[in-house]
Amino acid sequence: SNWLPFLVWFQFSNSHMFINDVFTSCGQWLEDQTKKLHKDMKKSTEADLAMSKAAVKISADLLSNPLCEQDQAFLDSMNALDTAMKRMDSFNQEKVNQIQKTVIDPLKKYSGVFPSLNMAVKRREQALQDYKRLQSKVEKYEEKEKTGPVMVKLHQAREELRPVRDDFEAKNKQLLDEMPKFYHSRIDYFQPSFEALIRAQVVYFTEMYKIFNDLTDQIDQAGLTDEQRERETEAKLSELRALSIVADD
Amino acid sequence: MEVPRRLPPSSFTLTLPKPAASAPASFVPEKDPEEEENLREEDEAGEETFISTEEAEPGASVVERSNSNLSSRDSFSEESGGPMSEERLAPEADEETGRKCEEEERAAAKERAAQRQLMAIEELVQSERNYLRLLQLSTVTIRGNLLKLQPPLLNLNRMFLHVDEVMDASSRLLSLLDQKRVRPGDPLFLQTLCESFLSLSSDIEAAYKEYLANYNHITVVENSYKQREGLWNEIVRVIKASAPEVNATSLTFFLVMPVQRIARYPLLLQTIQKHTDPAHPAYALLEHTAHTSIALNCGINEYKRFREVADKYKKTETLTIKDKINRLNSHSIAKKTARLSQQIKHETGITPKLVDEEFDALQDFFYVLEHGILELLENVETYLHHLQGFLACRTEEFDLDMDGEKAPICYKEITTALRQWILPTFEKRMRTLIHRPLCALRDLLVGPRNLIRKRLDKLLDYELIEAKSNLSYEEHAVANTYRTINTLLLNELPQFNGVALQMIWSMLGTFSCLHRDLASDMEQLFQSFAQQLPHSSLSPGAFWEWAESMALEGARRLETLCRSVEDTLNAPVVQPLSPSSQRRLKQLMDKHGSGKIWQAAAAVVSSRDLDLNLAKGELVAVISEMDTRGDRRRWLVDAGGRRGYAPSSKLIRYHQPAEDPPPSPHLTLPDGVTGIRRHSYSPGSRPLTSQPCFQVMAAYDFAARGSHEVSLRAGERVRVLEPHDKRGNPEWSLVEARGGQRGYVPSNYLTLMPLGVGVGPPGSYLPH
Repeated sequence: SNWLPFLVWFQFSNSHMFINDVFTSCGQWLEDQTKKLHKDMKKSTEADLAMSKAAVKISADLLSNPLCEQDQAFLDSMNALDTAMKRMDSFNQEKVNQIQKTVIDPLKKYSGVFPSLNMAVKRREQALQDYKRLQSKVEKYEEKEKTGPVMVKLHQAREELRPVRDDFEAKNKQLLDEMPKFYHSRIDYFQPSFEALIRAQVVYFTEMYKIFNDLTDQIDQAGLTDEQRERETEAKLSELRALSIVADD
Repeated sequence: MEVPRRLPPSSFTLTLPKPAASAPASFVPEKDPEEEENLREEDEAGEETFISTEEAEPGASVVERSNSNLSSRDSFSEESGGPMSEERLAPEADEETGRKCEEEERAAAKERAAQRQLMAIEELVQSERNYLRLLQLSTVTIRGNLLKLQPPLLNLNRMFLHVDEVMDASSRLLSLLDQKRVRPGDPLFLQTLCESFLSLSSDIEAAYKEYLANYNHITVVENSYKQREGLWNEIVRVIKASAPEVNATSLTFFLVMPVQRIARYPLLLQTIQKHTDPAHPAYALLEHTAHTSIALNCGINEYKRFREVADKYKKTETLTIKDKINRLNSHSIAKKTARLSQQIKHETGITPKLVDEEFDALQDFFYVLEHGILELLENVETYLHHLQGFLACRTEEFDLDMDGEKAPICYKEITTALRQWILPTFEKRMRTLIHRPLCALRDLLVGPRNLIRKRLDKLLDYELIEAKSNLSYEEHAVANTYRTINTLLLNELPQFNGVALQMIWSMLGTFSCLHRDLASDMEQLFQSFAQQLPHSSLSPGAFWEWAESMALEGARRLETLCRSVEDTLNAPVVQPLSPSSQRRLKQLMDKHGSGKIWQAAAAVVSSRDLDLNLAKGELVAVISEMDTRGDRRRWLVDAGGRRGYAPSSKLIRYHQPAEDPPPSPHLTLPDGVTGIRRHSYSPGSRPLTSQPCFQVMAAYDFAARGSHEVSLRAGERVRVLEPHDKRGNPEWSLVEARGGQRGYVPSNYLTLMPLGVGVGPPGSYLPH
């Protein structure tokens, strides 16, 4: 079926009041969503970077501990782990840089447009109010008996009205022109960002697989399920607990 | 455009039409008898009540809108023109209309949510049907045709080993839905959907488990085909001939679908849940179903890992690491730590008189081990903390109304999978296999540590009495205590140190394995998206170049938009010119032409030589848009005889009311639209209405039920003649359709699209 995105119906008539509502609520919604996404992306990226750095610290601290030197095989394993973590961190940094340029910055720029648009909507509404006010003034004089002073006042009122009406029409036309286009433009605007997000992650996880697949072959016992690992760990802890020096008397 | 003199029916509702509705729902609240009386009174007074707001605030205009709804119930003459009355706010109606407006808003929001829920439900069902259809196409038609190839393809049937169970699960799900004879619009449908899914969940898990665990065999076989170019071309030809309407160029195009389908269920179900009212009777069931779909994925991935481990163990028995770890036993540790103790002795400054090298070595190793364990635990906890922070930022939850576009949907699916089961599984395993044992190990450090300290205390005592030959009973006891503790530690510390180190080593191996599994899960997910994204075939360099250039392009367009909006905002209202200004204007135009006239938006005070002073609104002609040094911020202007420089930031182009303004580079006027007519006043003339810059079209099909209605096809352009019916009801609009027929249609079946912008269906997202 033919899904049309976000259907907005507003009456196609002469009344302008509701147009303000459309602009305001539609714009507000889009503004809220882009701001939220921007915030979430930023926080997510920060957490991502922090995680990677924490992983590097795990291996680096161990490597600098004299424990490592006690056994050559253990030292080799620690070195391999440390190398792997550092490489992953550098891939992660690259991924984050790409995301910053193609996703986070564009999101921010997009949000930055809303103050201008919101101001434009406000100014249009103000212009509308001025227009209505002066229009009603003109009508007031048009209804009166056509005496000389009245005609003069009428002429003046009309003169005053004209530029204000023109101003409103210009603002109105521009918004009616730009707002739907702006709203629709989000698709083309954000499409590359999403593709970039996906691609960056594909590259990162592909590297991660290669690096950790090799490392696991090197430093991990092959063919262990999680249950087996837990059992081995428990066995070792039991061995330790059985020692007299461990019991705290 | 004219400001309305009559009150038109303006009912702004952000709503989606109900396709099955026979009449549009009424959004107008019940009229309060009190308000009705007020209005009737005012009507009797012969004046139109035009209730408006004092200021242009959205809240206030809600009041306005609702009041206009109420008034629209009354019939009013349709002539336009006539005096526009004073505007005033109906006094008593204020609060009540405010409340009613809120109700109206809430009703509209509910309506919206219901529509989106319906769309989400239908998406799930439709995509399931499509998915099954495509799988059947590949297993029956394509496989059938491939089997006919000579020489026969090796291993072809291996690729289709487990797909039957998957298709079976899917068709059973669909038949359960069809059996119950409920339609997606029916409120019972959601319950049926959830119950069906849940009843089949163990079968679904069983089927997809096997399929995903064996999926890499499929890619291996296909890659073997790809090695032979002639053969591969033949295969692709058969595929294209068998399924011409599908843009497929490989077998994995079809066979990867189950991999993606199972991962899609969580997002599909969560989308339905997002638009479902928690008060809905089936809400709890839906929530449970969504959780189940995630649990399914976890189980399937776990099984896949289990199978991989088993396979790997069969293939390469690398016991070397295991041997190496086990060699870290008590003896080897003790012997190797002699060096270490020497270093540490200097640092700790403990030089007991009785130097026991062996003990010191053990003790120092223990302290180093303790430090290592505590540091490792702290680092692991920091890591887990940031992981949780990452999981908390749910970037997949945005809603930019782009659910029809491939890239955002793919991103949402990938991120949903990552955040809702792949990373959580990783975290759980980290905690179980690394963090918990590490904590237990840390707790075990207490015993030996205390005992070592105790031994030191006893040692000091012992040193005092050691030389004596005749020891008292108490002194004997002290000596014995010391010797006991010392011996105990000497015997058992090596084992403690060794086993603890073994544990740490194993944990690090596990850490690496967890990362590998995480990456493997993600890679499997990505496989299904590889072919869907438009630019995935670009090389990395080319891709990032494209992405960055698009970002720049987007930024440029936004800037253009901002500037154009601000230009219009800042343009001062053109006031009628004073006689002296008119003379100045004529003088400047005669000399320089009308295209060069600018106006000072604010007063200009000269700040250097050759600068001019200008009054606000003063007209000048621009001679040069830069000064002699090329500074474009200083323009050379003619102010009616005086010449000098003025800052360009304070100048605005002057448009005369009698002419069309120069075409703005920012506004692209569609064909047939005239520019803004700022025409001069002449008695009796009416201002022209600006042409619309958007088009109205039908969003859904509508079948006319009588001669006063007109049928519509979705996507058809219509011309709105009147946005209300003869009684002023805004829920029906009089339109002229293609072919010239005129009639009424439900207003909420119509939608507005900008002119000149493509209005085709959203990019065809791979359905299945």
